[in-house]
This record gives sequence, structure tokens and C-alpha cells, in this order.
Amino acid sequence: MVLSFCSVYLLPPSICPLSSTGFASAAASLRPLPAEVRSQRNAVFSREQARQRALYPRIEKIEVSMHGPGLDGTLLIMNRGMSTPLSCARHLTEHHVKNSALALVDGEPWPLHQPLTSSCSLTLLTFKDSDPTLVNQAYWRSCAALLGQVIETAFKDEYTVELLSTPEVAVTSGAFCCDVVLDPQLDSWTPSEESLRSLTRGAQQLIHQDQAWEPLEVVPSVALEVFSHSRCKQEEVEQKASQNPKGTVMLYRCGDHVLLSGGPLVARTGLCSQYEVTALHNLGQGSWGVQRRAQGLSLPLQLQAHHTVWRKLRQRAEKLVRATNLCFLPQTVVQQS
Amino acid sequence: MRLTLQMLISHGRMARRMGLGPESRINMLRNILTGLVRHERIETTLARADEVRFYAEKLVDYAKKGDKDEKAMKMASFWLTEKDLVPKLFKVLAPRFETQSHGYTRMARIPNRQNLDRAKMAVLEYKGNPFPPLYPAKKENELTLINQLLKGYREERAQQLDAKL
Repeated sequence: MVLSFCSVYLLPPSICPLSSTGFASAAASLRPLPAEVRSQRNAVFSREQARQRALYPRIEKIEVSMHGPGLDGTLLIMNRGMSTPLSCARHLTEHHVKNSALALVDGEPWPLHQPLTSSCSLTLLTFKDSDPTLVNQAYWRSCAALLGQVIETAFKDEYTVELLSTPEVAVTSGAFCCDVVLDPQLDSWTPSEESLRSLTRGAQQLIHQDQAWEPLEVVPSVALEVFSHSRCKQEEVEQKASQNPKGTVMLYRCGDHVLLSGGPLVARTGLCSQYEVTALHNLGQGSWGVQRRAQGLSLPLQLQAHHTVWRKLRQRAEKLVRATNLCFLPQTVVQQS
Repeated sequence: MRLTLQMLISHGRMARRMGLGPESRINMLRNILTGLVRHERIETTLARADEVRFYAEKLVDYAKKGDKDEKAMKMASFWLTEKDLVPKLFKVLAPRFETQSHGYTRMARIPNRQNLDRAKMAVLEYKGNPFPPLYPAKKENELTLINQLLKGYREERAQQLDAKL
């Protein structure tokens, strides 16, 4: 039985009393359609991206010195504000283009699609380096972002989905997680295996489309405008802006979905190969509604696992993962042990 | 004698012909074997190394019988032309391979000789020699994503087992 991507088997919506969460205050007729929200966010993102590109009207050259096995001493002359670490990799070999997931610019993790602004030293990081901890963390974050995107687009238009910030989980915990608050009508809904599988299929479709995660560094006011329809996202923007020493916020766009992230993401969705949404746990009542934690497991294209190993890891990924970073969890959940 | 075609074609003949004749062949192998026992790693042509391998392993089998055994001592003194290597054979090489029953030598090909003959060369060594390894063992990186996931999995299993016990 093939499930279409946008339909999830749900219980018939019961008439729920108006609760004090942020959604029911905006009645269903006033709430904009998800498609409209997406196109608005897209428009603001594109506008800001075009504005940032227009800051460099004439081509200025910068010198990028490469570091890495076999590349030490290579000097590339690139364009300021236009060339990305990916374009530097394209000057090298196809192996560098396909395998690099993240770049290190002057020792700082840098997304592959973000333009370089000054002469620097560049190192391309892959999954098979001698120390791939940064890449692993970025990959985990990207998979969680992908999961958030899939969940946001999976439900029918009449149900709202709010993505909370993705907790930073260590790779050894076994699964990446994405916190989400669903519509109050779905409070009693528990996902069946079929719905988890349809979410997985949605994620696999995105991976197959091989979309790039385009980064954009914006001031908090632009980010607040992007997320003008979602109060929870605006709070997250303010929190991230206060934590960042530069005061800016990193937005990423994948396809037509704009998201917020706490750190660099990998280059493309096509880097993931094995991806499965393993579970959707109920965390309890939070400040925005009933919080759910969606968990998944994924491995990149270069590190595929045999199906026996994958099955064991997947079984472990179904268990609830406790995030070590507790500041994003609502107060009721903190004391769980 | 009948000059048959079989005399000119050598299909299926396994025995190699080296030097001037069978006696010359044995003398050459004796010299190479002495060099192997002295230095524990030598470089020769592929064919000679392959021939010496059989004799090197048989020599170690004889040495395992102990230096009190007459046959073993006769063999050792025949095959080792430099007599100061006979105690080394019985006292160093035989105890080293006490636990193993076969496979005391290792052969690895190296680039061909740069002379006009471009002969195939090989390195022959006794295992357990003090030199750096011919094939360095590749250590798998513990920090890759899949190894980290497996590490977490193993730790959780260990925790569960401890909790059960």
C-alpha cells in the first residue's frame, strides 16, 4: 500500500476546546496556509541573499591557500564574496567535490556554500579524516534539520506544526532528534509504523533530489521578519542572537524551506545515503503545547553500513535520547531521569 | 634417444632448473638459506626466494627437534655453510616458532631489478624479525561516524548487561 507523501494516517480530528497555547489564539481562518508561509520566508531569504551578493558589485580577488593531504602550498585566486569553498574544491578534483562535507577557514568551521570574504587558509573536511568530529557533529545537525523539514511538510494543511530548536546531541547517543509541537487536535495521536515509514520516504525523496543547504548570515531583524508567522521561532532567533558573539544568526535554505541552525550544516542532502525516521516520542506538556521528539538515524554515502549492523543501530535509535543541553527543554521535562 | 616433442615442451613440470645442474641448484639454495638465517630478511629473485622458502621452513622443522638430535644437527651443518649460524638456528629460530606449526616465512614482491634483465625480485623474511613490518597494519579510525555509533551501541549493551547482573 503506497502512501502519498503529504497524507499521514491520522485519527479524525475531535472538537478540542480552546487551550491557552499560541495557536488557538489565531483562529483557523486567520492562520496563513503553510504554502503561503513558505513562499513568504523564501521571498525574504532570496531578497536578503540578493542584497548580500550585491554588496560586491565589482570582482575583487582574494588568495586562498589550501591545506590538506597532497594540497599543502596550493594557492588559489578566487573572487571575494562569490567564491565558496565548493568552488575551490571544483578547481581541484571530483573526489574533493563529492567527498568534502565541511570546510575549515582559518580554523573556523565554514559551510561549503558560504562565500569567502577575505584571503584565508582553507581545509576541506571529509567523513574519513583522521579527526572527523566536527564533520560528524555537522552531519548530525543536518540530518536533524532534514527531519524537521520533513515533519513540517508532512502534515495536512489544517494541522499546524511548530519546530522547536533541535537539541545538540552527541553522536554516540545513537540518534539525532528534532523537537516539534503539533496541532492541539493531534494531542492524542501516536504515530504508527506506517506513518514513520511515510516520513522516511519523504526524507528519502529529499535526499534523492540532492538539494544544497544554502547558508546565509543575517542580522536578527531580518531573521525575525523571516519567521514573522511563528512566535516560537522568533524567540529562538533572539536566543541564538544573544549567544552569538557577532550578534548575527545563520539561516539555511533547503529547497524552499528556510530553517535556523546552531552550527554549520553539511553541503547537500545527497551526502546522506541511509536515512530512517525511527521514532516519535511524547515528551509531555511544554510551554508551547505537547512536545514531541522525533528521532532518526542516518549514515553518509561514504560510510554505508551492512544491513545487519544497520538493523542493530536502528533498534537502538528507537529508544528515547536524552539531550545533554537542557536549556531548550520546557521546565516539566527537565527532571526526567 | 628419441627426440620427442615432449622433451622440448615443459607443460606441467613443477621442478625449477637453476644454475648449472641439480648440484649447483642445491649449492645456490644453501648459500641463500645461509644468508636468510644470518640476516632474517633478504632480497633475491622471485624464483630463488620461492625455492628457498620450502627449504627454510623444513630447516626450522628440523631445528625444532633440538640440537641433541643427530639427524637435525647433520641437516643444519649441511645447509648452513657458515657454522656460527648453527647455534643461532637452534637457540633463536627454533624457540621463536615453537607455537607455530607452519608458515615461518613471508615473501613479498618488490619492483623489478633495474638491470637489463628486469628480473622479478622478492623479499623473503622469517616472521618475528626485528625489522619494521613489510605490510604495515592499517588501524581503523575510531572517530568516524559509524565507529562512534557502534561505540555507543557497545557501551549501552555493556551497561545493560551490568544492570542485569
